[in-house]
Amino acid sequence: MNSLEKAVTQQIMRERKNSEREEMVNAILPWDKFSQWLHCICVVTFDLELGQALEFIYPSHIKLSDKEKMNICYLSFPDSNSGCMGDTQFNFRIRQTSGKVNHHLLVRRKEYDRNSPVILQSDPAHLFGFVYFRQVKDKSSRRGYFQKSVVLLSRLPYINLFTELVELIAPEFFDKGEELIEAACHDIDQWSNPVPGDTLQLPIMGTVLQVKIPAKGDIKIGALGIARDAVPQPMGSPLTVVPSLHAVETFMCLQPVLPHIQLLWELVLTNEPLVVMGPSPGITCGTVHALINTISPLKYMTDYRPYFTIHDSEFKEYTTRTQGPPPVILGVTNPFFAKTLQHWPHIVRIGESIHAFLDKSKANKPKKPGSLKTLESKPGVYTQYKSFLSKDKTIQKRLAKGIQTRRPYEVQDAMLRRYLLELTQSFMFSLERYVTSLMPLQRNISPWKHPPRLKAFDIEEFLRTVEHSGPQLTSGLKGDWESLYRRFFKSANFQGWFQNREEEINQKLLLLHLEALSEADLLKWCNEREEVEVVDLVLKLRERLNDITERNLPVKPELIQKLHQGTESIIRSLPEDLRGVLEK
Amino acid sequence: MTSGPYNYSYIFKYIIIGDMGVGKSCLLHQFTEKKFMADCPHTIGVEFGTRIIEVSGQKIKLQIWDTAGQERFRAVTRSYYRGAAGALMVYDITRRSTYNHLSSWLTDARNLTNPNTVIFLIGNKSDLEAQRDVTYEEAKQFAEENGLLFLEASAKTGEHVEEAFLDTARKIYQNILDGSLDLNAAETGVQHKPSAPDSNQANLEPGGGKDSCSC
Repeated sequence: MNSLEKAVTQQIMRERKNSEREEMVNAILPWDKFSQWLHCICVVTFDLELGQALEFIYPSHIKLSDKEKMNICYLSFPDSNSGCMGDTQFNFRIRQTSGKVNHHLLVRRKEYDRNSPVILQSDPAHLFGFVYFRQVKDKSSRRGYFQKSVVLLSRLPYINLFTELVELIAPEFFDKGEELIEAACHDIDQWSNPVPGDTLQLPIMGTVLQVKIPAKGDIKIGALGIARDAVPQPMGSPLTVVPSLHAVETFMCLQPVLPHIQLLWELVLTNEPLVVMGPSPGITCGTVHALINTISPLKYMTDYRPYFTIHDSEFKEYTTRTQGPPPVILGVTNPFFAKTLQHWPHIVRIGESIHAFLDKSKANKPKKPGSLKTLESKPGVYTQYKSFLSKDKTIQKRLAKGIQTRRPYEVQDAMLRRYLLELTQSFMFSLERYVTSLMPLQRNISPWKHPPRLKAFDIEEFLRTVEHSGPQLTSGLKGDWESLYRRFFKSANFQGWFQNREEEINQKLLLLHLEALSEADLLKWCNEREEVEVVDLVLKLRERLNDITERNLPVKPELIQKLHQGTESIIRSLPEDLRGVLEK
Repeated sequence: MTSGPYNYSYIFKYIIIGDMGVGKSCLLHQFTEKKFMADCPHTIGVEFGTRIIEVSGQKIKLQIWDTAGQERFRAVTRSYYRGAAGALMVYDITRRSTYNHLSSWLTDARNLTNPNTVIFLIGNKSDLEAQRDVTYEEAKQFAEENGLLFLEASAKTGEHVEEAFLDTARKIYQNILDGSLDLNAAETGVQHKPSAPDSNQANLEPGGGKDSCSC
């Protein structure tokens, strides 16, 4: 096992070197670097004749589909503008329906995804939109109001970084016009590519943002550390440290539903349909991201919409009553949804003042879903779901005490995030260990056999291991862990997690097998074998070489060369007639 | 731009300003790459460059923002002035108009940076003596009247380019030492020891330690 781990580490080191080499070979074109970070920047304005309309897109060569444009336009403005005077920030997520990505970009993205923690991988099918909306009185406008949004679109879930970025760009743009977007894009086009593991300095608008791009091992089950947040410098100083690319203020966002935090964790973990109703898109998107993050480092695998409107192209699909509610999380502000989504099993209502900690006695019981008829309903969680795990009173007490004593939000936040991380880890730990036990042993990797693969996941076998070495080892929580596991196994979160682990492990096994093959004495083996076996080996070698290109495996060129040479020397050792056939 | 260990103790922010075509980008290129760019494209918005220098035994990282001289970017580039510790104001000694516009650039620099920002006047293209349109003495007098440091330089030959960038840094460092530049004040354009995020990286990076600094 140890030597297997060592081999895997060595492999990772080699992957890094390969990527560096690739970096040097590929010439950099204008917008290449920009495209690694953002898809484009849109400006959405309120047109008196058309309503919300796309004023312009930067870079101008980016083509969005009509569907995307429509979604972006509606999602870039609050659903009801009345309450949003001044500047408002929020974000959204839409399905991507346009455009082929060029090969060059795709290779980079794959490389990034391979080395990135799953929750920070690029989204292949969606775009995130980061909105800065301004609504102010403007006498020069016929309507009397200035209403405009700047939207950054990206495939990367860097919620925190891009929220800060649009906050830097948008106000300056409102002040100075289109050239500012041009200049800002140019700044971004000078950024280094986001390479997992690197600390980067990103020049933008006269300041430099410093970010650390987490690598795969940085955010994972087993790594307990939560980053202690660095104190950010004020803007305008030469260097601003952005403490996290993606973290949202979990405590702040979930405070109104804190007594139900474990129940919500179970719902998110098992991909239950969940709708968050709030007074403004800023609040719903904070809450939706915080919910998704409760199961970090596990990735939430189904769709989620931090802000969703009745104009969304998926509105019908998601609200239909002809089938059950989809396993998604939606954030909505339009009162209309209170009716449309009445049949949803779990509803989270967040009130106007997110700070008001609820009356303790009443807040502790989840409410029946039927009681939510209007938007005036009280904040809380409306569900009939019963948690599998018993409530952890300690964390509730600790957080409540923090509220009483006005403990700083950052401390409360770290406490809550740590609690959730440990909960998720306790849950996932048995699974991780079980999956490891499905791995073949290093000594079973033979160059003469097929590359070994991960054994199949057996639910019952796994649950038997839980009896003696389950979450009870790391978590004090009592409850029906087994039923929670069973529910989890039916969810997309489990499917996604397992598929990911399986692919990862199988690829590593494939690499180890390739290595064994390249180090084996092929000719000697052939000398002792029948001709059919030798031919079979040649075919297998070719298959492996094919694997390397097709799966874009991170392999040293020397290894490929060695395999090629090995194949050729075997062929040369064969009788001439056979050689002729194989050389074709 | 990937930062290795922090082997410097200060960051100074510079801006380079002046009319279009006076050679701002070429000066930056000469300073960071020690090369002359023969045909340099128009700058869009702002270019960015860095170099680590040494002043009185202190390693200083210069963060240099090279602005576009085109008029249509004038409003935009003003956003980049904020918090500059040094401003290199450039004119072309062979084109009088670029010299005549200096007072307008100076007004911007004064209004948009803090009172301690060191402003260095550079008369570029000193290699083109035959086409000179502005005398050294005249510019020298302008600099003195306005309290600016001054040199004539050539991005092409490299003459005085190092000096201009380094003298600016020396002056800023001097201001720090004698206390006229208060590092605790906002937007000084100087950062002492970039707030080392090692403490939070240490536990994020079990196998790495690449960024853990030993400075």
